[in-house]
Amino acid sequence: MDINQLMELYLSNEETYESGEIIIEEGTRANWVYIILEGQAKVTKRTDAGIVTTDKLKKGAIFGEMALLGKIPAGRSAYVIAADGAIRLGVLDSQQLLKDYESLSPALRSLITTLIMRLEESNKKVAAFVVAANRKDRAKV
Amino acid sequence: MTNKQEDVFPVITLKYRKGDLIIKEGDYGISIYKIIKGKVSIFQESEDKDIVLSTLGPGHIFGEIAFLNIAGEIRSASVRAIENAVLEVWHPSMLSKEYKEMPPMLKYVVDRISARLLRMNKLIVQLTTQEHKKRTSIKKREPWASKRRYYRKDVDLKCHYRPVGLSPKVRLPGRIRDMSLSGLGLEIVAKNTKSFSHMDGDSFIVNTVLPNGKSIELEANIVTLTKSETPGKLILGMSVTELSAGAKSLLGFFLMP
Repeated sequence: MDINQLMELYLSNEETYESGEIIIEEGTRANWVYIILEGQAKVTKRTDAGIVTTDKLKKGAIFGEMALLGKIPAGRSAYVIAADGAIRLGVLDSQQLLKDYESLSPALRSLITTLIMRLEESNKKVAAFVVAANRKDRAKV
Repeated sequence: MTNKQEDVFPVITLKYRKGDLIIKEGDYGISIYKIIKGKVSIFQESEDKDIVLSTLGPGHIFGEIAFLNIAGEIRSASVRAIENAVLEVWHPSMLSKEYKEMPPMLKYVVDRISARLLRMNKLIVQLTTQEHKKRTSIKKREPWASKRRYYRKDVDLKCHYRPVGLSPKVRLPGRIRDMSLSGLGLEIVAKNTKSFSHMDGDSFIVNTVLPNGKSIELEANIVTLTKSETPGKLILGMSVTELSAGAKSLLGFFLMP
């Protein structure tokens, strides 16, 4: 099925953000699953050396899904996600997604949760590298 | 809702001993494993070094990347038992029909997650290899060997230091507490270690001004790291690895009894 057709079934809303605007704040509950319809977003982390970008998300990318499907404590976002240029987002029907997920066999569900856990772990590792490299560049005592 | 397919395909249980290789990167393989007992480590080899991507325990699944078919049916990483482990081996057919027929939006989300996981893992391997190269190139350098002709002198010299490879603009404050031509004791505030790695073998460039007004620069690496009697401070025991001839004679003169 074409992604656009899919989207019509799941899209519950659209949102637009200006460049630099925060879409998901670090530590807040991530209640929505977003898909980027146009533009791009950056995944950033606040550190004592300032804000560093750990990843960029492009058109078609999904975010907020890890908190929904993974077993992340209290579903709080570990990162700040901000618009990188003007961005148009689709808000997906997360209740429907959750229903879909719950209809799966336990085997497939545990495969997905492990996948999310591993991605979470890998994201943290990459972020640690980026943060360390940034500290080195920025530290001007 | 449980899927009946689970009962159709036999599930094999296998036991592995600590240290056993379960999956070899690059091999062909389609089985999916569920950990019943024990722990496994997922790693990639890069230049004879294992780069750990993940450590999984009971209830977790692995071998799914080949199944999700993003990397083909070639194992994208190796898996080793790091504890005696009991694993359930699933035939992929047990899941493939259900996976293919999964609600398409959810499938899109899962495919995105696995593609990102692969991308992040590639990045980790790249970044770790770079970091490792930097470290070994430092170690390979001939350590500056000198017989300790001058005794270690207790001093109190203000200094600045920075990790090797960084711009001189990076200036971490410290105090040299004792010094010889081959080593020094550097007192630092513990919070410096939050910004930069201070581990055994880490190399730093140290700049200080001797009482006669001459500044010297040397390169030294950490041999020991101990707490100072002053709270919040640490003493780095460092071994000098590079000292220019000029700095050596200046320092030699200063250290003379």
